[in-house]
Amino acid sequence: MEAEPRIQPLSSTESLCPVCLRRLQAAREQQGDTVYLVKRCGEHGTTRTSIWRGPIPFSSWLRPKNPSSPRQALTEIRDGCPFDCGLCPGHGQHTCTALLEITGRCNLRCPVCFADAGESDADPSLAQIGGWYDRVMAASGPCNIQLSGGEPTMRPDLGRIVRLGRDKGFDFIQLNTNGLLLAERPQLAGELRQAGLASVFLQFDGLSAATHLALRGRDLRADKESAIRRCVEAGLAVVLVPTLVPGINTGEIGAIIEYGLGFAPTVRGVHFQPISYFGRYPQPPADADRLTLPEVLSLIEAQTAGAVRVEHFAPPACEHALCSFHGNFLIDGQGRLAPLGQPPACCSTGEAQACLPSALEGREKSVRYTARQWSLPMAEPACACNGEPAVPKDDFDRFLARARTHTFSLSAMAFQDVWNIDLERLRGCCIHVVSPAGRLVPFCAYNLTSNLGRPLHRRARAA
Amino acid sequence: MTSFSFAETTAWQCAGCDLPLQPAEVKVSYLNSVFNVELMVCPGCGFVLVPESLATGKMLAVEQLLEDK
Repeated sequence: MEAEPRIQPLSSTESLCPVCLRRLQAAREQQGDTVYLVKRCGEHGTTRTSIWRGPIPFSSWLRPKNPSSPRQALTEIRDGCPFDCGLCPGHGQHTCTALLEITGRCNLRCPVCFADAGESDADPSLAQIGGWYDRVMAASGPCNIQLSGGEPTMRPDLGRIVRLGRDKGFDFIQLNTNGLLLAERPQLAGELRQAGLASVFLQFDGLSAATHLALRGRDLRADKESAIRRCVEAGLAVVLVPTLVPGINTGEIGAIIEYGLGFAPTVRGVHFQPISYFGRYPQPPADADRLTLPEVLSLIEAQTAGAVRVEHFAPPACEHALCSFHGNFLIDGQGRLAPLGQPPACCSTGEAQACLPSALEGREKSVRYTARQWSLPMAEPACACNGEPAVPKDDFDRFLARARTHTFSLSAMAFQDVWNIDLERLRGCCIHVVSPAGRLVPFCAYNLTSNLGRPLHRRARAA
Repeated sequence: MTSFSFAETTAWQCAGCDLPLQPAEVKVSYLNSVFNVELMVCPGCGFVLVPESLATGKMLAVEQLLEDK
Protein backbone atom coordinates (compact mmCIF):
# COMPACT_ATOMS: atom_id res chain seq x y z
CA MET A 1 0.00 0.00 0.00
CA GLU A 2 1.36 3.40 -0.95
CA ALA A 3 1.77 6.05 1.69
CA GLU A 4 -0.14 9.30 1.25
CA PRO A 5 2.16 12.02 -0.07
CA ARG A 6 3.51 14.30 2.63
CA ILE A 7 1.66 17.57 3.25
CA GLN A 8 3.87 20.60 2.79
CA PRO A 9 2.71 24.01 4.05
CA LEU A 10 3.29 26.70 1.40
CA SER A 11 1.84 30.01 2.51
CA SER A 12 -0.97 31.60 4.48
CA THR A 13 -3.90 33.77 3.51
CA GLU A 14 -7.46 34.41 4.63
CA SER A 15 -10.73 32.91 3.49
CA LEU A 16 -14.34 32.56 4.62
CA CYS A 17 -16.35 29.85 6.34
CA PRO A 18 -18.59 28.31 3.66
CA VAL A 19 -21.46 28.08 6.14
CA CYS A 20 -21.41 31.28 8.22
CA LEU A 21 -19.19 33.43 5.93
CA ARG A 22 -16.98 34.37 8.90
CA ARG A 23 -13.47 35.45 7.91
CA LEU A 24 -10.91 32.72 8.70
CA GLN A 25 -7.18 32.21 8.55
CA ALA A 26 -6.34 29.82 5.74
CA ALA A 27 -3.31 27.90 4.56
CA ARG A 28 -2.15 26.84 1.13
CA GLU A 29 -0.61 23.41 1.40
CA GLN A 30 0.77 21.01 -1.14
CA GLN A 31 0.22 17.26 -1.25
CA GLY A 32 1.59 15.47 -4.27
CA ASP A 33 0.85 17.59 -7.33
CA THR A 34 -2.15 19.28 -5.70
CA VAL A 35 -2.29 22.49 -3.70
CA TYR A 36 -5.19 22.84 -1.28
CA LEU A 37 -6.72 25.81 0.49
CA VAL A 38 -7.38 24.70 4.03
CA LYS A 39 -9.40 26.60 6.64
CA ARG A 40 -11.11 25.82 9.88
CA CYS A 41 -14.18 27.45 11.40
CA GLY A 42 -14.58 26.81 15.15
CA GLU A 43 -18.27 26.22 14.60
CA HIS A 44 -18.47 24.57 11.18
CA GLY A 45 -15.29 22.58 10.89
CA THR A 46 -12.47 22.23 8.37
CA THR A 47 -12.71 22.69 4.61
CA ARG A 48 -9.98 21.53 2.23
CA THR A 49 -10.36 22.46 -1.45
CA SER A 50 -8.01 21.81 -4.34
CA ILE A 51 -6.87 25.07 -5.95
CA TRP A 52 -3.95 23.97 -8.15
CA ARG A 53 -3.44 20.58 -9.74
CA GLY A 54 -1.11 19.42 -12.44
CA PRO A 55 2.33 19.75 -13.90
CA ILE A 56 3.03 23.47 -13.40
CA PRO A 57 4.75 24.06 -10.06
CA PHE A 58 2.57 26.34 -7.95
CA SER A 59 5.56 28.41 -6.87
CA SER A 60 6.55 29.12 -10.47
CA TRP A 61 3.26 30.81 -11.26
CA LEU A 62 3.47 33.61 -8.71
CA ARG A 63 3.68 37.11 -10.15
CA PRO A 64 3.72 39.46 -7.20
CA LYS A 65 2.98 43.15 -7.61
CA ASN A 66 2.86 46.21 -5.43
CA PRO A 67 -0.78 46.90 -4.62
CA SER A 68 -2.27 50.14 -5.85
CA SER A 69 -5.32 51.49 -4.04
CA PRO A 70 -8.43 52.95 -5.71
CA ARG A 71 -8.08 56.51 -6.93
CA GLN A 72 -11.36 57.21 -5.17
CA ALA A 73 -12.52 54.68 -2.58
CA LEU A 74 -16.31 54.58 -2.41
CA THR A 75 -16.56 52.80 0.97
CA GLU A 76 -14.68 52.88 4.26
CA ILE A 77 -12.91 50.06 6.03
CA ARG A 78 -15.23 48.97 8.83
CA ASP A 79 -15.62 45.19 8.95
CA GLY A 80 -12.61 44.38 6.77
CA CYS A 81 -12.24 42.39 3.56
CA PRO A 82 -14.52 41.19 1.96
CA PHE A 83 -17.36 42.89 3.82
CA ASP A 84 -16.66 46.53 2.94
CA CYS A 85 -16.39 46.17 -0.83
CA GLY A 86 -17.19 49.19 -2.77
CA LEU A 87 -14.11 49.54 -3.42
CA CYS A 88 -12.60 50.20 0.01
CA PRO A 89 -9.24 51.91 0.51
CA GLY A 90 -7.63 48.52 1.26
CA HIS A 91 -8.26 47.16 -2.22
CA GLY A 92 -5.05 46.50 -4.15
CA GLN A 93 -5.99 46.86 -7.80
CA HIS A 94 -7.86 49.30 -10.00
CA THR A 95 -10.73 48.42 -12.28
CA CYS A 96 -9.65 46.86 -15.55
CA THR A 97 -13.18 45.83 -16.49
CA ALA A 98 -16.33 47.18 -14.89
CA LEU A 99 -19.34 44.95 -15.24
CA LEU A 100 -22.77 46.56 -15.46
CA GLU A 101 -25.76 44.27 -14.93
CA ILE A 102 -28.34 46.08 -16.99
CA THR A 103 -31.15 43.55 -16.53
CA GLY A 104 -32.00 40.55 -14.40
CA ARG A 105 -34.16 39.06 -17.14
CA CYS A 106 -32.95 36.20 -19.28
CA ASN A 107 -34.30 34.16 -22.19
CA LEU A 108 -32.59 30.99 -20.95
CA ARG A 109 -32.99 29.09 -17.70
CA CYS A 110 -29.53 27.60 -17.45
CA PRO A 111 -28.79 25.01 -14.81
CA VAL A 112 -25.44 26.89 -14.56
CA CYS A 113 -25.69 30.64 -13.94
CA PHE A 114 -23.46 32.73 -11.70
CA ALA A 115 -25.68 35.75 -12.09
CA ASP A 116 -28.77 34.11 -10.65
CA ALA A 117 -30.59 35.53 -13.65
CA GLY A 118 -34.21 35.11 -14.61
CA GLU A 119 -35.58 37.12 -11.72
CA SER A 120 -38.03 39.79 -12.64
CA ASP A 121 -36.84 42.94 -10.87
CA ALA A 122 -37.42 46.07 -12.90
CA ASP A 123 -34.52 46.95 -15.18
CA PRO A 124 -32.38 49.90 -14.10
CA SER A 125 -33.25 53.07 -15.98
CA LEU A 126 -30.97 54.69 -18.51
CA ALA A 127 -30.40 57.49 -15.98
CA GLN A 128 -29.35 54.96 -13.34
CA ILE A 129 -26.96 53.27 -15.75
CA GLY A 130 -25.55 56.70 -16.62
CA GLY A 131 -24.92 57.18 -12.90
CA TRP A 132 -23.07 53.84 -12.80
CA TYR A 133 -20.82 54.88 -15.67
CA ASP A 134 -20.06 58.09 -13.78
CA ARG A 135 -19.19 56.17 -10.62
CA VAL A 136 -16.82 53.90 -12.52
CA MET A 137 -15.14 56.88 -14.13
CA ALA A 138 -14.78 58.64 -10.77
CA ALA A 139 -13.47 55.59 -8.94
CA SER A 140 -11.27 54.06 -11.61
CA GLY A 141 -10.93 56.33 -14.63
CA PRO A 142 -11.29 55.06 -18.17
CA CYS A 143 -11.44 51.27 -18.28
CA ASN A 144 -13.14 48.51 -20.21
CA ILE A 145 -16.87 47.99 -19.74
CA GLN A 146 -18.79 44.77 -19.95
CA LEU A 147 -22.58 44.95 -20.21
CA SER A 148 -24.00 41.90 -18.52
CA GLY A 149 -27.13 40.66 -16.81
CA GLY A 150 -29.29 38.61 -16.99
CA GLU A 151 -29.26 38.66 -20.73
CA PRO A 152 -28.52 42.25 -21.79
CA THR A 153 -30.02 41.86 -25.27
CA MET A 154 -33.42 41.56 -23.56
CA ARG A 155 -33.33 45.36 -23.29
CA PRO A 156 -34.74 47.15 -26.31
CA ASP A 157 -32.63 50.23 -25.45
CA LEU A 158 -29.34 48.32 -25.42
CA GLY A 159 -27.93 50.46 -28.25
CA ARG A 160 -28.61 53.60 -26.23
CA ILE A 161 -26.87 52.08 -23.22
CA VAL A 162 -23.81 51.36 -25.37
CA ARG A 163 -23.86 54.85 -26.86
CA LEU A 164 -24.19 56.41 -23.41
CA GLY A 165 -21.07 54.58 -22.27
CA ARG A 166 -19.14 55.71 -25.32
CA ASP A 167 -20.28 59.29 -24.81
CA LYS A 168 -19.08 59.13 -21.23
CA GLY A 169 -15.58 58.24 -22.33
CA PHE A 170 -15.41 54.43 -22.30
CA ASP A 171 -13.79 53.32 -25.55
CA PHE A 172 -14.12 49.56 -25.20
CA ILE A 173 -17.59 48.23 -24.47
CA GLN A 174 -18.25 44.52 -24.59
CA LEU A 175 -21.53 42.63 -24.50
CA ASN A 176 -21.77 39.48 -22.39
CA THR A 177 -24.48 37.46 -24.10
CA ASN A 178 -25.86 34.03 -24.89
CA GLY A 179 -26.26 35.25 -28.48
CA LEU A 180 -29.82 34.03 -28.99
CA LEU A 181 -31.24 37.42 -29.94
CA LEU A 182 -28.22 38.25 -32.08
CA ALA A 183 -29.12 35.12 -34.04
CA GLU A 184 -32.83 35.82 -34.08
CA ARG A 185 -32.78 39.52 -35.03
CA PRO A 186 -30.70 40.09 -38.16
CA GLN A 187 -30.33 43.84 -37.56
CA LEU A 188 -29.29 43.72 -33.92
CA ALA A 189 -25.54 43.15 -34.34
CA GLY A 190 -25.31 46.00 -36.85
CA GLU A 191 -27.31 48.34 -34.60
CA LEU A 192 -25.04 47.61 -31.68
CA ARG A 193 -21.93 48.10 -33.81
CA GLN A 194 -23.33 51.44 -34.94
CA ALA A 195 -23.96 52.39 -31.33
CA GLY A 196 -20.29 51.82 -30.56
CA LEU A 197 -20.09 48.25 -29.28
CA ALA A 198 -16.63 46.75 -29.78
CA SER A 199 -16.94 43.13 -28.82
CA VAL A 200 -19.28 40.26 -28.03
CA PHE A 201 -18.38 37.96 -25.15
CA LEU A 202 -20.32 34.97 -26.38
CA GLN A 203 -21.32 32.15 -24.07
CA PHE A 204 -20.10 29.13 -26.06
CA ASP A 205 -19.83 25.86 -24.18
CA GLY A 206 -19.07 23.39 -26.90
CA LEU A 207 -19.91 21.73 -30.15
CA SER A 208 -21.97 18.79 -28.98
CA ALA A 209 -25.70 18.75 -28.32
CA ALA A 210 -25.07 16.92 -25.05
CA THR A 211 -22.96 19.79 -23.70
CA HIS A 212 -25.64 22.35 -24.53
CA LEU A 213 -28.37 20.22 -22.99
CA ALA A 214 -26.37 19.68 -19.82
CA LEU A 215 -25.33 23.30 -19.29
CA ARG A 216 -28.10 25.31 -20.94
CA GLY A 217 -31.06 22.94 -21.12
CA ARG A 218 -31.36 23.36 -24.91
CA ASP A 219 -29.34 22.52 -27.99
CA LEU A 220 -28.09 25.97 -28.96
CA ARG A 221 -25.51 25.02 -31.57
CA ALA A 222 -27.34 26.53 -34.55
CA ASP A 223 -28.13 29.73 -32.60
CA LYS A 224 -24.49 30.19 -31.62
CA GLU A 225 -23.23 29.83 -35.15
CA SER A 226 -25.90 32.13 -36.45
CA ALA A 227 -24.95 34.75 -33.82
CA ILE A 228 -21.31 34.54 -34.90
CA ARG A 229 -22.29 34.96 -38.56
CA ARG A 230 -24.34 38.05 -37.70
CA CYS A 231 -21.27 39.48 -36.00
CA VAL A 232 -19.14 38.70 -39.05
CA GLU A 233 -21.61 40.64 -41.20
CA ALA A 234 -21.81 43.53 -38.76
CA GLY A 235 -18.06 43.83 -38.14
CA LEU A 236 -18.34 43.01 -34.45
CA ALA A 237 -15.56 41.11 -32.69
CA VAL A 238 -16.42 37.91 -30.83
CA VAL A 239 -14.73 36.11 -27.96
CA LEU A 240 -15.92 32.55 -27.35
CA VAL A 241 -16.51 31.92 -23.65
CA PRO A 242 -16.92 28.29 -22.60
CA THR A 243 -17.85 27.40 -19.06
CA LEU A 244 -15.78 24.28 -18.46
CA VAL A 245 -17.35 21.53 -16.38
CA PRO A 246 -15.46 18.30 -15.63
CA GLY A 247 -17.08 15.36 -17.31
CA ILE A 248 -19.25 17.53 -19.56
CA ASN A 249 -17.20 19.54 -22.04
CA THR A 250 -13.55 19.25 -21.03
CA GLY A 251 -13.01 16.98 -24.04
CA GLU A 252 -14.13 19.75 -26.42
CA ILE A 253 -11.46 22.35 -25.63
CA GLY A 254 -9.38 21.70 -28.74
CA ALA A 255 -12.47 21.55 -30.94
CA ILE A 256 -13.72 24.88 -29.59
CA ILE A 257 -10.35 26.51 -30.35
CA GLU A 258 -10.38 25.03 -33.85
CA TYR A 259 -13.93 26.23 -34.40
CA GLY A 260 -13.00 29.75 -33.26
CA LEU A 261 -10.02 29.83 -35.61
CA GLY A 262 -12.39 29.06 -38.46
CA PHE A 263 -14.11 32.39 -37.77
CA ALA A 264 -10.96 34.49 -37.33
CA PRO A 265 -10.54 37.42 -37.43
CA THR A 266 -14.12 37.97 -36.19
CA VAL A 267 -13.47 35.49 -33.40
CA ARG A 268 -10.59 37.07 -31.50
CA GLY A 269 -9.95 34.29 -29.03
CA VAL A 270 -11.36 31.79 -26.58
CA HIS A 271 -11.72 32.66 -22.92
CA PHE A 272 -12.33 29.60 -20.73
CA GLN A 273 -14.12 29.81 -17.42
CA PRO A 274 -13.77 26.68 -15.25
CA ILE A 275 -16.97 26.23 -13.29
CA SER A 276 -17.26 27.70 -9.83
CA TYR A 277 -20.01 26.94 -7.40
CA PHE A 278 -22.35 29.76 -6.48
CA GLY A 279 -25.81 29.10 -5.10
CA ARG A 280 -27.05 26.30 -2.91
CA TYR A 281 -24.59 23.43 -2.29
CA PRO A 282 -25.21 21.99 1.19
CA GLN A 283 -22.27 19.60 0.64
CA PRO A 284 -19.00 21.00 -0.74
CA PRO A 285 -18.45 20.16 -4.43
CA ALA A 286 -15.96 17.30 -4.78
CA ASP A 287 -12.46 18.10 -5.97
CA ALA A 288 -13.26 16.00 -9.04
CA ASP A 289 -15.95 18.54 -9.91
CA ARG A 290 -13.33 21.28 -10.12
CA LEU A 291 -10.90 22.20 -12.81
CA THR A 292 -7.87 24.27 -11.85
CA LEU A 293 -5.89 26.49 -14.22
CA PRO A 294 -2.95 24.11 -14.79
CA GLU A 295 -5.40 21.37 -15.65
CA VAL A 296 -7.02 23.61 -18.27
CA LEU A 297 -3.56 24.34 -19.69
CA SER A 298 -2.74 20.65 -19.87
CA LEU A 299 -6.02 19.97 -21.66
CA ILE A 300 -5.33 22.74 -24.19
CA GLU A 301 -1.91 21.25 -24.89
CA ALA A 302 -3.27 17.72 -25.17
CA GLN A 303 -6.08 18.73 -27.53
CA THR A 304 -4.18 20.99 -29.93
CA ALA A 305 -1.79 18.37 -31.32
CA GLY A 306 1.24 20.04 -29.80
CA ALA A 307 0.66 23.40 -31.51
CA VAL A 308 -0.13 25.11 -28.23
CA ARG A 309 1.98 24.26 -25.22
CA VAL A 310 1.80 25.04 -21.54
CA GLU A 311 4.91 27.22 -21.76
CA HIS A 312 3.18 29.55 -24.21
CA PHE A 313 1.07 30.92 -21.37
CA ALA A 314 1.74 33.36 -18.57
CA PRO A 315 0.07 34.53 -15.39
CA PRO A 316 -1.62 37.93 -15.53
CA ALA A 317 -0.01 41.30 -14.94
CA CYS A 318 -3.29 42.82 -13.79
CA GLU A 319 -5.29 40.50 -11.55
CA HIS A 320 -3.78 38.10 -9.01
CA ALA A 321 -1.59 35.43 -10.62
CA LEU A 322 -3.81 32.60 -9.37
CA CYS A 323 -6.86 34.04 -11.13
CA SER A 324 -6.03 33.59 -14.79
CA PHE A 325 -3.69 32.69 -17.62
CA HIS A 326 -3.33 34.02 -21.13
CA GLY A 327 -1.39 33.37 -24.29
CA ASN A 328 -1.31 35.36 -27.49
CA PHE A 329 -0.81 33.68 -30.85
CA LEU A 330 -0.38 34.46 -34.50
CA ILE A 331 -2.46 32.43 -36.94
CA ASP A 332 -0.08 31.39 -39.70
CA GLY A 333 -0.90 30.95 -43.40
CA GLN A 334 -2.06 27.36 -42.77
CA GLY A 335 -4.42 28.38 -39.98
CA ARG A 336 -2.14 27.07 -37.25
CA LEU A 337 -1.33 28.87 -34.03
CA ALA A 338 2.21 30.10 -33.38
CA PRO A 339 3.07 31.78 -30.07
CA LEU A 340 3.53 35.51 -30.32
CA GLY A 341 6.40 36.98 -28.39
CA GLN A 342 7.14 35.01 -25.27
CA PRO A 343 5.81 35.00 -21.76
CA PRO A 344 8.06 36.57 -19.11
CA ALA A 345 10.78 34.04 -18.41
CA CYS A 346 9.14 32.95 -15.84
CA CYS A 347 7.50 34.55 -13.24
CA SER A 348 8.89 33.83 -9.86
CA THR A 349 11.71 31.87 -8.36
CA GLY A 350 10.07 32.07 -4.98
CA GLU A 351 12.72 34.58 -3.89
CA ALA A 352 11.62 38.01 -2.76
CA GLN A 353 12.12 40.51 -5.57
CA ALA A 354 13.79 43.81 -4.82
CA CYS A 355 11.63 45.75 -7.22
CA LEU A 356 8.07 44.59 -7.81
CA PRO A 357 6.01 45.89 -10.72
CA SER A 358 3.09 47.98 -9.61
CA ALA A 359 -0.45 46.69 -9.88
CA LEU A 360 -1.33 49.92 -11.69
CA GLU A 361 1.25 49.28 -14.41
CA GLY A 362 -0.20 45.77 -14.95
CA ARG A 363 -3.69 47.18 -15.07
CA GLU A 364 -2.75 49.74 -17.72
CA LYS A 365 -1.20 47.03 -19.88
CA SER A 366 -4.17 44.78 -19.47
CA VAL A 367 -6.75 47.44 -20.33
CA ARG A 368 -4.87 48.22 -23.55
CA TYR A 369 -4.21 44.59 -24.46
CA THR A 370 -7.80 43.49 -23.87
CA ALA A 371 -9.26 46.39 -25.82
CA ARG A 372 -6.91 45.71 -28.72
CA GLN A 373 -7.11 41.93 -28.83
CA TRP A 374 -10.82 41.59 -28.20
CA SER A 375 -11.82 44.19 -30.80
CA LEU A 376 -11.84 43.78 -34.54
CA PRO A 377 -8.65 44.97 -36.19
CA MET A 378 -8.52 48.46 -37.61
CA ALA A 379 -8.84 48.76 -41.35
CA GLU A 380 -5.57 48.66 -43.23
CA PRO A 381 -3.92 52.07 -43.17
CA ALA A 382 -4.29 53.79 -46.51
CA CYS A 383 -1.28 55.17 -48.30
CA ALA A 384 -1.46 58.94 -48.09
CA CYS A 385 -0.36 59.41 -51.70
CA ASN A 386 -3.16 57.82 -53.71
CA GLY A 387 -5.68 56.39 -51.28
CA GLU A 388 -4.75 52.79 -52.13
CA PRO A 389 -4.15 50.34 -49.28
CA ALA A 390 -0.51 50.31 -48.27
CA VAL A 391 1.40 47.31 -49.61
CA PRO A 392 3.68 45.70 -47.01
CA LYS A 393 7.20 46.72 -47.93
CA ASP A 394 9.47 45.21 -45.35
CA ASP A 395 9.56 42.65 -42.60
CA PHE A 396 8.10 45.03 -40.05
CA ASP A 397 5.22 45.91 -42.39
CA ARG A 398 4.65 42.28 -43.22
CA PHE A 399 4.50 41.31 -39.55
CA LEU A 400 2.27 44.24 -38.64
CA ALA A 401 -0.15 43.50 -41.46
CA ARG A 402 -0.48 39.84 -40.43
CA ALA A 403 -0.64 40.52 -36.71
CA ARG A 404 -3.25 43.21 -37.16
CA THR A 405 -5.75 40.71 -38.48
CA HIS A 406 -4.49 37.34 -37.33
CA THR A 407 -3.73 37.39 -33.64
CA PHE A 408 -5.71 35.00 -31.49
CA SER A 409 -5.80 34.85 -27.71
CA LEU A 410 -6.36 31.87 -25.46
CA SER A 411 -7.10 32.66 -21.85
CA ALA A 412 -8.95 31.49 -18.78
CA MET A 413 -10.21 32.97 -15.58
CA ALA A 414 -10.81 30.94 -12.46
CA PHE A 415 -13.61 32.47 -10.43
CA GLN A 416 -13.68 31.86 -6.71
CA ASP A 417 -16.54 30.40 -4.71
CA VAL A 418 -17.08 30.13 -1.00
CA TRP A 419 -14.89 27.02 -0.70
CA ASN A 420 -11.81 28.27 -2.48
CA ILE A 421 -12.03 32.01 -1.91
CA ASP A 422 -8.66 33.52 -1.08
CA LEU A 423 -8.84 37.08 0.20
CA GLU A 424 -5.35 37.86 -1.10
CA ARG A 425 -6.64 37.09 -4.58
CA LEU A 426 -9.79 39.07 -3.94
CA ARG A 427 -7.84 42.20 -2.95
CA GLY A 428 -5.98 41.97 -6.24
CA CYS A 429 -9.17 41.69 -8.30
CA CYS A 430 -9.64 44.03 -11.28
CA ILE A 431 -13.06 42.86 -12.51
CA HIS A 432 -15.60 44.86 -10.60
CA VAL A 433 -19.38 44.61 -10.70
CA VAL A 434 -21.24 47.88 -10.23
CA SER A 435 -23.91 47.20 -7.61
CA PRO A 436 -27.36 48.81 -7.95
CA ALA A 437 -26.22 51.42 -5.42
CA GLY A 438 -23.17 52.24 -7.52
CA ARG A 439 -20.52 50.42 -5.51
CA LEU A 440 -17.71 48.58 -7.26
CA VAL A 441 -17.53 45.05 -5.91
CA PRO A 442 -14.94 42.46 -7.01
CA PHE A 443 -16.71 39.94 -9.24
CA CYS A 444 -16.18 36.91 -7.02
CA ALA A 445 -17.24 38.73 -3.87
CA TYR A 446 -20.34 40.00 -5.63
CA ASN A 447 -21.44 36.55 -6.71
CA LEU A 448 -20.28 34.64 -3.65
CA THR A 449 -22.87 32.71 -1.67
CA SER A 450 -22.70 30.51 1.41
CA ASN A 451 -23.24 26.79 0.98
CA LEU A 452 -26.97 27.38 1.47
CA GLY A 453 -27.09 30.12 -1.12
CA ARG A 454 -26.91 33.14 1.21
CA PRO A 455 -25.23 35.96 -0.74
CA LEU A 456 -22.32 37.95 0.61
CA HIS A 457 -23.07 41.05 -1.46
CA ARG A 458 -25.63 40.49 -4.22
CA ARG A 459 -28.97 41.73 -2.91
CA ALA A 460 -27.84 41.27 0.70
CA ARG A 461 -25.57 44.30 0.69
CA ALA A 462 -26.23 45.69 -2.73
CA ALA A 463 -28.85 48.23 -1.76
CA MET B 1 12.11 36.93 -44.70
CA THR B 2 12.84 39.76 -47.09
CA SER B 3 14.74 42.92 -46.52
CA PHE B 4 13.86 46.50 -47.08
CA SER B 5 16.04 49.49 -46.78
CA PHE B 6 15.63 52.05 -44.06
CA ALA B 7 19.10 53.24 -44.98
CA GLU B 8 19.28 56.90 -45.86
CA THR B 9 22.09 59.35 -46.16
CA THR B 10 22.90 60.70 -42.75
CA ALA B 11 25.23 63.23 -41.24
CA TRP B 12 25.84 60.89 -38.31
CA GLN B 13 29.25 59.26 -38.07
CA CYS B 14 30.48 56.53 -35.76
CA ALA B 15 32.18 58.42 -32.92
CA GLY B 16 34.34 55.43 -31.91
CA CYS B 17 35.68 54.62 -35.37
CA ASP B 18 35.31 58.08 -36.93
CA LEU B 19 33.81 56.50 -40.04
CA PRO B 20 30.77 57.48 -42.09
CA LEU B 21 27.85 55.04 -41.87
CA GLN B 22 27.00 52.75 -44.76
CA PRO B 23 23.87 50.79 -45.67
CA ALA B 24 23.97 47.15 -44.55
CA GLU B 25 21.56 44.31 -43.93
CA VAL B 26 20.73 43.90 -40.25
CA LYS B 27 18.84 41.21 -38.35
CA VAL B 28 16.58 42.82 -35.78
CA SER B 29 15.37 40.29 -33.24
CA TYR B 30 12.90 40.78 -30.45
CA LEU B 31 11.15 38.17 -28.32
CA ASN B 32 11.82 35.26 -30.68
CA SER B 33 10.90 37.13 -33.87
CA VAL B 34 13.50 38.12 -36.45
CA PHE B 35 13.19 40.94 -38.97
CA ASN B 36 15.69 41.51 -41.79
CA VAL B 37 16.02 45.15 -42.71
CA GLU B 38 18.63 47.47 -44.17
CA LEU B 39 19.93 50.21 -41.91
CA MET B 40 22.89 52.55 -41.71
CA VAL B 41 25.80 50.76 -40.02
CA CYS B 42 29.36 51.63 -39.05
CA PRO B 43 31.66 49.56 -41.32
CA GLY B 44 34.26 49.47 -38.56
CA CYS B 45 32.43 48.24 -35.45
CA GLY B 46 29.00 47.31 -36.81
CA PHE B 47 27.19 49.86 -34.68
CA VAL B 48 23.68 50.39 -36.10
CA LEU B 49 21.80 53.65 -36.39
CA VAL B 50 18.06 53.27 -35.92
CA PRO B 51 16.34 56.42 -37.17
CA GLU B 52 14.02 57.99 -34.65
CA SER B 53 11.04 57.74 -37.00
CA LEU B 54 11.54 53.96 -37.26
CA ALA B 55 12.07 53.50 -33.52
CA THR B 56 8.96 55.42 -32.59
CA GLY B 57 6.92 54.17 -35.54
CA LYS B 58 6.94 50.64 -36.90
CA MET B 59 9.40 49.23 -34.39
CA LEU B 60 7.27 50.45 -31.51
CA ALA B 61 4.15 48.97 -33.11
CA VAL B 62 5.93 45.62 -33.52
CA GLU B 63 7.19 45.70 -29.93
CA GLN B 64 3.73 46.36 -28.61
CA LEU B 65 2.28 43.43 -30.51
CA LEU B 66 5.01 41.09 -29.34
CA GLU B 67 5.04 42.17 -25.74
CA ASP B 68 3.07 40.23 -23.25
CA LYS B 69 0.48 42.05 -21.21
